[in-house]
Parts: sequence; structure tokens; C-alpha cells
Amino acid sequence: MNYIITALDAEARVLIEYYRLKRDTTLPYTVYKGEDTLLLVTGMGKTNAMMALSAVLGYRLPGRNDTLINIGICGAPSEYDLGEALLIHQLIDENRRYYPDILYTHTLRETSLICVNSPIESPLSFPVDMESTGVFQAASKFFKLHRMAFVKIVSDHCQPNTVTKEGVVALMKPHLGTLDSLLSSLQNVAQEQPLFSEQELEEITLWKSYFTVAQGIQLEDAFYYFRLKDSARPLPFPKTDIPVSKRERSVLLESFIATLTV
Amino acid sequence: MNPSLPPSLSKLFSHLYVEQKVANHPHTLKIMEKFERSQIILIHHYKEVFNRSNQSFSAQSDSKKLILAHKEGKFLHEGSQYSDGFDIEQFFYASSVMGCLYDCDYCYLQGLYPSANTVLFVNLEDAFAEVLPYLGDKTLVATSYDTDSLAIESLTGQTRLWLEFAAEHPNLHLEIRTKSANVKPFKSVTPNDKVTLAWTLSPQRIIDQYEHATLSLEKRLKAAKEACELGWKVRICIDPVIYTDEFELLYGELIDTLFKTIPPELLHQLTLGSFRLSQSHLRSLKKLRRSDIAFYPYDVRDDMATYPEKLESHILEVLLKNATRYLSQTRIRTWQRQS
Repeated sequence: MNYIITALDAEARVLIEYYRLKRDTTLPYTVYKGEDTLLLVTGMGKTNAMMALSAVLGYRLPGRNDTLINIGICGAPSEYDLGEALLIHQLIDENRRYYPDILYTHTLRETSLICVNSPIESPLSFPVDMESTGVFQAASKFFKLHRMAFVKIVSDHCQPNTVTKEGVVALMKPHLGTLDSLLSSLQNVAQEQPLFSEQELEEITLWKSYFTVAQGIQLEDAFYYFRLKDSARPLPFPKTDIPVSKRERSVLLESFIATLTV
Repeated sequence: MNPSLPPSLSKLFSHLYVEQKVANHPHTLKIMEKFERSQIILIHHYKEVFNRSNQSFSAQSDSKKLILAHKEGKFLHEGSQYSDGFDIEQFFYASSVMGCLYDCDYCYLQGLYPSANTVLFVNLEDAFAEVLPYLGDKTLVATSYDTDSLAIESLTGQTRLWLEFAAEHPNLHLEIRTKSANVKPFKSVTPNDKVTLAWTLSPQRIIDQYEHATLSLEKRLKAAKEACELGWKVRICIDPVIYTDEFELLYGELIDTLFKTIPPELLHQLTLGSFRLSQSHLRSLKKLRRSDIAFYPYDVRDDMATYPEKLESHILEVLLKNATRYLSQTRIRTWQRQS
């Protein structure tokens, strides 16, 4: 699942159409869903962003290969072009700093971003937004740092009064391709494949239950050894009855571990 | 710092995180010059990047970042029981780099740090000041414990600085251990018999399987030979030995190849030792679930995981039998658990 987080309805509008998302009213937040995309509109400000995202991620726990992108507009000093999409490598919130991991190649300009509490009218040293650190704080509890990205599109040179809903929609439209390619980069970085199938996990759990907790841990380690040594081999579960006596079970365990760790 | 060009396509060190405190340190400036196309990000403290929660060590391993920082605490630490101090009473290791360019499955660094990125402490002058009070007596400093310092020598220049420092202090012994093929710093400095260069070798199959991003056996051997010929004291370390199928064949061939390449009389010493690790580091390796090495049923006693005693003795016997065909036992050091 790809989680896309915006602050404003206007930022979300083109995404809803592009990804053909439908409103989901399960939670008291503005959520849209598609087959493999969830879009959350948090409302303005860090607190709103953190609360809404925490609620959504707590309700639907992300899987290990899920990704998150926070996309929206930002104000910026004049050296940044209006409409330019920026990839954020450092989020600054007063004395706190946050760092998503950028482990993939891309074509966007990277920069730091200052997360402020209210719109500002005189430029700071970096672009500014009002939600990113709230999103980061909530998301980093659930996502590995290389599975999230923060993309900001320059809407104004610190003249927030010039930003209109229609203007935001127009700013977002040209960057749908950027978003797609970023999502695909995020998904492709170090995809984690489970070592064991569901069926194997069930069998492992069953086998562990025949032994003491400590013996179960030894057996589990041996399964990992076997699989990591050669991922192609099927686990060689013994076809034997489980002895009743503890001593005989220990003998069986020893021989099973020896088979797995040869 | 102003945003710069998009990151270089080369993934290594595409991002440099620089502590504000060292942003103008001469070493920092030199390093930043070498990474013109990388993103430079100013930070307050290296821990805000290196110690973040929810990093993925394995994902970062394919795209390491560099953090330049100021070491605040001690550079010198007492040598560990898992290593050979070569009977020198004052045995330290210097920690001027955290993390390693190489990515060996059995390395304790994977369990030690939350990040696969590299932290380079640029204020090496403080390390030298810390060593000075000990130099009234014989003192051994291992400079490549927490990293393969030669692997990033072209970036840091720190090995060369240690060699120059050692040349001025006759009681200072250095051990520089590596899996690289870098002999450049040894070409421009007069050989010093208090400095031991140690190459870690493994059979190529073990390198392919477990020592990711390291140099091939052939290249390491060539470099070790060149260092010998330049007049440096070279130790070869077949350590850690990883027990595997065809262990006898693989390690037998390795010893034959070693002495076919480097005549025994050129070598200072050979060190042999099988894999061992503290239990706590082993636990951390297991959490990563990256390699079968972490899950072997080791014999764990006194917080140390080793191969079971019989197997450990067998490993040493086989290696010694092969090695003593070329080298007298007095020039072979072995590591074995003291039971």
C-alpha cells in the first residue's frame, strides 16, 4: 500500500482523480482509498498532521514494504522556481531535525525544509511548510526511514496570500509523473521478502510447541540457518511421531538441529 | 548551506552530513572537495543522523552516506579479549571511524551500530594527543578495529597521518588491518618495523558469500606481496575462519595460494583463528536476519560464542597442518577459546 499524505483538499484533488480513489468514511478524518493507495488529507498544521496520520496508521498498520509520501505546497526563497518540486533531505523544527533516508537516485532538487507554525511572509534560509515534521514524527513510528519521502512544490516566494485553491491544483498536476516515479523508487529499495512462507511458519510454530521455550528458540535459529544458507531448499521437517518422554524429545531435537545445520 | 545539484548517480556517499562544528575543519573541506556532486547537509550532532530509530541496516548497506563529525569522548579504547595484543601490555584501538565500507556478514559492527552509514571523526589531532601520555612505554594501537581504515584512506588520509606520527614515536606500535588492496600510503613513507600491516584473507568462495564489497583474494594477496616487497612487516590473518562445506579443501587451497604468491620468508607472521563473537553482538546479528552465520548452533560460554570445542580444535588442526608445511610454528599465532 502507498500512503499519500497531503494537508489540503486542493492538494489532494488531482491525486484523487489520477489514482481513482474513493472516499472512506471509517475514520473521522478525510481518507480516500484505492486498490493499493490510501490518501489522507490531514488539515493544516503539525498537530493536525500528526493526529490524523497516527490515527490512520494505528487503524491500518502498514506492512513492511508499504511506502509513504508527504506531498504538498511550500513557500520558498526566490532562488527556488515557482512550481518546482523539491525532495526534502532534512526537516527542521526549531531545534529538532529529522532525516528521511534517500537511498535511491532521482532527478529532483534536494533541500532542507523548515516546518513553521503559521504562514510566514519573509523568507527563511530554506523552503517552509507547516505539516512535514508532524507527518515525520507519526510516520517514523511505523515506517522504515527509507520507505518515506517528502516532496514539496514551490507555490510562492513567501507570499502566502497569493496562493489560491485553483493555483494549488494547477501546481500539483504537472507532478503526477514525479510522484509515480518516486513511489516506484521507494518500492524498489530493498524490498523485504519473507524468509518463510505462511505454511512453513505454521509448521515451525507447531514444531516449536513440542519443546521447551529455550529449545524452541534453538530450533528456530536452526531453521533460519538452513534457509539463509540456501533459500531454494524446502525445510526438511522429520516425518516422525513426537515422543512422549522429554529425554526422547531432546534426542529428536538434537538430531533435527544437526540436520538443519549441516 | 544552499541546495546543490541532484545527487550523483554513484550511490556511495551521495549525501554528506556535516556537523556544523567541523564544517570548516581542514579535513572536512578536503573531503567535501572530493564529493562536489553529493548533497551537503549541515547537522548539529552526528547522532541525530547515525542513531535515528527505524533505520534499515541492510537497505543502507547498498547506499552508504558519510557523516563528518567531531569526536567528543575518548578516541582510545582498551583492546578486546577477542583480539591479539601481541603481548604488548598497553594495547588500545583507536576509533576515528564508525562503520565500514565493507559489509561482512560476520562483522560485529552490524550488531554494534544502528546504521550502516559511516561516521568519520575529523579531529584526529585529538587522538594523537590522547596517545602521547602512554608513549613512555611500548604501546600498541590498532587503527582499523571499527572500520577498514585503508578502504577509505583515499578519503580520510588518516593511515598516512598515523604512520607519520608513529615515525616520530619509537614506542608506538601500530597494527593496520585490512581487506583492501590499498598500498598507496606505504609507498611514500619509510617502512617502520613497529608497524604491522595485516591482511585478512578468506577463500574466494567465502569472500563471495559473506564478505560483500570487499576486494578479491587475488587483489588482497597482490597488495600484501607488494607491501612485503616495499619492506613493511606483513602479517596474514586467516581469521575469522568460517566453517562451511568443503572447509578442509577451501582453506587448504587458500594456504597453498598464499605461499605460492608470497614466499614464506617475506611474511612476518600468520594468524589463524575461527569465528567468535560476544553473545550480545550475536543477538544483534540475529535480529538482522541477513546471514546463516548468525544462526549456527555455537557454543556460548562466558558471553562468547564460538564453534563447539571439537570443531574449533579441528579447524585449527587442519589450518596448522597446512600452514606448517610452509612456515615454522613459531611464526604462527592462533586464537582459541581458553577453556
